[in-house]
Parts: sequence; C-alpha cells; structure tokens
Amino acid sequence: MWLFALPALLINVFIILIPAMLTFMAAFVIWDGVGTPVWAGLANFRHMFDDPVFWSALTNNFIWTAIFLTVPVCIALVMAAALLMAPRSRVVVQTIIFLPRILAVAVTGRIFQGMIFSPATGLVAWLNERGVSIADPLANPDLSLYAVAAVDIWHWWGFLAVVFLAAMRQISVDQIEAARLDGAGFFALLRYVLLPGIRPTLALMLILTVIWSFQVFEFIFIVTRGGPAYGSEVLATLAYRHAFFEGDVGQAAAVACVMSLFGLCATAAYLWLQSRDSSHST
Amino acid sequence: MSLSRRQVVAAIPAAAFAAGLPRGPAVAQDGRKVVTFWFGQANSDGQAALRNDLVEAFNASQDKYLLQLEVKGAAVNNLLKIALVAGNGPDIVQTAGPAYLTAIANAGQVLPLDDFAERYKWKERFLPALLNTSVYGGKLYALPRDYESMHLFYNKEVFSQNGWKLPTNRAEFEQVADAALAKGIIPFGAGNADWKGVNEWLMTVFFNNVAGPDNVRKALAGDMPWTAEPFVEAVDLSKAWFNKGYFGKNYFSLTIEQSFLQVVSGKAAMALSGTWSFGTKSYGMSKPDTVMDVAPVPGLGAAVTAPLVHLACGATLSIAKNSQNPEGAAAVFDFMLSRKFYESMNRDWPGKWALPVRDLPPDMLKGIGYPLFEKTIAGLHEAFGKGRYGFTTWTFWPGATNSYLIEGIEQVWLNRITTDAYLGRIQTLFSQEAKDGKVPPLPPRTA
Repeated sequence: MWLFALPALLINVFIILIPAMLTFMAAFVIWDGVGTPVWAGLANFRHMFDDPVFWSALTNNFIWTAIFLTVPVCIALVMAAALLMAPRSRVVVQTIIFLPRILAVAVTGRIFQGMIFSPATGLVAWLNERGVSIADPLANPDLSLYAVAAVDIWHWWGFLAVVFLAAMRQISVDQIEAARLDGAGFFALLRYVLLPGIRPTLALMLILTVIWSFQVFEFIFIVTRGGPAYGSEVLATLAYRHAFFEGDVGQAAAVACVMSLFGLCATAAYLWLQSRDSSHST
Repeated sequence: MSLSRRQVVAAIPAAAFAAGLPRGPAVAQDGRKVVTFWFGQANSDGQAALRNDLVEAFNASQDKYLLQLEVKGAAVNNLLKIALVAGNGPDIVQTAGPAYLTAIANAGQVLPLDDFAERYKWKERFLPALLNTSVYGGKLYALPRDYESMHLFYNKEVFSQNGWKLPTNRAEFEQVADAALAKGIIPFGAGNADWKGVNEWLMTVFFNNVAGPDNVRKALAGDMPWTAEPFVEAVDLSKAWFNKGYFGKNYFSLTIEQSFLQVVSGKAAMALSGTWSFGTKSYGMSKPDTVMDVAPVPGLGAAVTAPLVHLACGATLSIAKNSQNPEGAAAVFDFMLSRKFYESMNRDWPGKWALPVRDLPPDMLKGIGYPLFEKTIAGLHEAFGKGRYGFTTWTFWPGATNSYLIEGIEQVWLNRITTDAYLGRIQTLFSQEAKDGKVPPLPPRTA
C-alpha cells in the first residue's frame, strides 16, 4: 500500500521538505548565494529584529491579513447568498465575477497600475483632467498597501464567492425554505442558516487566507515593489530584496522562517478545529 | 521492454550519478562547438541587433564555434547565480556590472581571463578605468561591455523659447528650475514606477556633483565616512529639490519612458538620465530635427567646479568556471572588439554596447547618423581615458548598501527619516560589506 503514497511522498520530500530544511539552515549562515556559507548562529535573526523595515513589513502583513479576512469574505458571502436566491442569473454572474481570477497576476497588476491609478494614462488622469483632484494612491506610502490590496481583492473575491456558493448549495433546501416561511429576511437567512451551514468551508478559507496573507508577494512586487519608502513592504518582498538585491541569503531565510511560523500557526489552528469538529461529531 | 521494480530502483542512483558527471562541450550538427550566452533585457530593436550583429555575424565569421544566445529578461541575474552554483550556467556570464560580478568572482564561479587577455592583447586595448573594475586579487575576471554615465538631457526649444541658458552651477540650475515651475513646466522629467533604480541615478548625480568625486572615492576606499558633511549636503539638496517639486508631482507614478517623453514633448525642461537613453527610439534623439540636446551634469557644490561625467560599467562579460568551451567564449569576446561589430551594434542599438576600447575611437560612430550619441560617447571616452570622472552607485557600491541607498532615499524625500539616519545606515552597511570584501575594486584615478 505504501507504494501508492510513494510518488506524493517523494514529491513532498524533495520539493517541500528538503528545500524547507535548507531554508531553515540558511537562516543560520552568512551566504551571498554563490560563495561558501559561513556559520553565523543567530546573527541573522538579531539583524532582522534590529531592522525597522522588518517590523513595518510584519505590520503590513498583519494589516493585509485583517483586510483579507474581512473585506473580500464579506463581499463574497453576500454575493454567494444572493446567487443562491437567484438561480436564473447564477451562471452568467458566476462567470463574470470569476473572470478576474483567471487573469494572470502580472496582467491584473499592470491594468490597475496603468489604466486605473496612473496620473498619466489611467482613470486618475481622466478624473484630474475633468477637475476632480485625485492623486495616485500607489505613490503615497500611507495608502499604497491599501491600493494594492484593492487590486488583489478585485482579483480574489469572485473566487471566494464561487467557493461559498458551492458550499451553500449543499445546505438542505428545506432548511432554507423553513427559515423563509418563518419570516427570515436576506441577512437573517445568511446569519442564522447559511453561515452555520458552510462553517467548515468558511473556516478553511479563513485559515488559508491567513497562510496566503503571510506569503503575499506577486501583486505587491508587480505594482509597487514594496514602496514607496517601504510603505507596502511585506515579509515576502523583504526576503526577496535581501536574497536577490542585497545578496544576503541568510537574512532572507530568517525572514522566510518568520513567514513560515505564521503559516504553521494557522495550519495548527486549522488542524485543531478539524479535530475538535470530528470529536464533536462522534 | 518492461522493467522490474528492482531495476527501476537501481536506475535512480545511476541516473543521479550521470546527471552529476562533467558535461562535454555541446556540438552542433555541423560539428561546431556551441558557445552559450544568456542576455538580460532587450527591447525588439535590441533583440534584432543581438541576432543580426552578434549571433549571425559571429557564426558567419568562423567555422569552429556556434554562438547560441538566449534573452532571459530582467531576472537574468538571479537565474545566473542559481545556475552557476548548480554548475549549469552558460559559457558566457554577463552580469549587470562590477557590483554584481564581485560575489561571483569572489566565489570562483568565473575563470580568470589573464591568459586570454595576454593572447588577445585585451589589457592594452581596454581603457584601464573600466578594465580595472573587474580585477580581483590581481586577476582579471571580466571585460567591460560598455561605458555609461549620467547626463543632463534637455529640450533645447523649451530653453530657447524661455530664454534660459544651460546651467553651469547650482544657482543657475535652481534659477532655471524655479522659472520652469513658475511657467507650469516640470523642471526635471523623472519617474521610477517601473524601475526603482532611478533613485540611484539621481543619487549618483547628487553624491558626485555636490560632494565631489574625490570625496566619493575616499568614502568608497574607506577613508571617509558616508556621514561626513559633503554627503549630508548632497542628500539634503536631493530632498530640497524633491520637496520643491523639481521632479514633478508624479515621480512614483510615471515610468522612465513616460517621464523622459515629458521632456521631449516640452511638458518638462530637463532630465537627469543615463547614456542608455540614446537606445530608446521613441525619444527621437537620433533624428536631425530632434528638440533634445545633452551635456554632462554641471557641478552642484563647491567641490565641483566643472561638468562631470560618472564612470559606469553597465555590464561585464566573463567565462563560467564550468564552461566546457572557454576558447569559444573568448573568441566571441574578441569578435566583439572588431570594428565591424562596434559600428553595426552601435548603429542598431545605440548606448548598449559602447565598448571602452582605446583603438575603437568614438569618431568611428560618425557614419551612424546620431550626432548627440556620437558627441556624448566622445566626451566619455576622453574623460574616462584621462581619469576625470565620478563614480556611479550601481558600479561601485556593494549590494546591500546600494539596495538601501535606493530604498532609503525615498524615506528621506518623504520625510520619514532624517538625512543623518539615512547616511548612518549607509555607513553601517558599507562598513560591514567592506569588511566582507564586497566592495568592487576602484579604478586608478589616471589613465
């Protein structure tokens, strides 16, 4: 039987476990990526904790997580519930809201950067020409993180809505109709019937959101490269900068370890929830 | 044929062993030995020039080697490092300049070129200022592919319509910039939305043209701290100009091309940009009726009384340690030093392959019909030959210091940290990198 698990196990060992172990080991050496690594003990972690940019990047990861645990989830839940109630328009609307998800991240990033936010070629320029004074949020270090988050939310919420809708369709129709007969309105139905009905799916998506939020890289790197003035820097872009611009692989690995730590916590929370649910159901 | 489970298991270590064996030189169908070369970014004009003027011309010039070039894009530096460590890189290793070469050369991932240099007389042919940026421990590890400098590009029609003269010092610069602002013209077209390195282009000018190249050289040699007064003045001036709006309101939103085109269209008066700008055809600088003109950047501080060019090597060429065909790679390098290649490449892709070679004088470019480019290259050739130049950050600053120089200056300009904090951090990073031997070699001051 173990032979059936062998391919997956080998892939996991060679593609995930060994690189993860090597990254962990790299956090304890000074290495420029091409020369000979030199043992450094905890020096990389000390430098990391002394670096104010690390703390602002970590804070930005927390802000990003908070945004993605709320804004797209709320939009997606409302849309999924609405689609559940309106089966005739479901196929068309699902296709439209899912469309951003299939666009390449680089394309989405460039569309927003050049066609929406740009003061030379975008919607911002068009509004300014018509007397609406508005600045490019990507150029403001206090707003750039939120502006990139808006781009990612546009790309992400439709996928969430489709996942939530699929889960809601597993809820018994009788239960929904009974709630309606009892006079439940849209939000009461969502709150007391649909949300409890999709709780496992919702928990999984929230946990995955936490993990993905600490790994976020592409949108930020493409749209702002973490700037301006580190305003949208997150741990992944900081690690990339250390590894590939500064030639400091050890420092990058230390940052990557912190990212993994949050991912591990989220995974542990998910496993705990799962074991609690299965013990309740037995 | 069916294999038993044991045979499959036994084949795994054999395959792994085979993968680790040294590679023989790849041989083309016609029996020629293949030379591989990874190139970074190239626009469509550049790719055509690489194909026609380098690959096809080299392959037609002899019958021993076959050059195969791949354009890898912006990530080539990262790909190259990983490939070299894995022993699978190309034969010809091109880096983005001495600052990138340092780590690779120190790690022994490229071959010393001294034997080839003697055979092909490269040491006699290249300008020492450029060649010495690739000498580590007395050994030559690379050839400079080009020379670059920051320059002042300006719209001569805007200047003439407003009665402005080309500034020769800081006061005149600020006079023109203030007059431009008063007329609704952006003094300097500038934008870093697509390339944060624009920050270091500007800081190269401020450090050298305010603090002076001698002070910069002292700091790079470790004889003066980056926190010294001349550098404080340089950073403060950059901040003052940024906050006065000299670089426009949309510095963080515009791309390099958009911002330069502001100058061409007259929306902006000037641009502080590099000689690579000559290679972008949309700027129209090669046309006889161009509105643009170019000059070295004037002094901006008491330490600099004359216009200054800045020594930069935009790319280096080496041979990989694991190359199976170093002879072929050296033959490609020598082909690049031919007059025919120099003329055709500079005609088809100006500014990208201006080889700093003594016996390829810039007056050879007269035939290509690009007077602005020709006069600029002639100026660089003379200044670099005589040792009169400043130092560009992307050529002489070590990696971590340079990365912070680029990122941190935005914090200064946006009032998030002080000049002292910025320079203090630069000094800390530089000291550490100097201790680790990561500072690229400094060229001699005279030819």
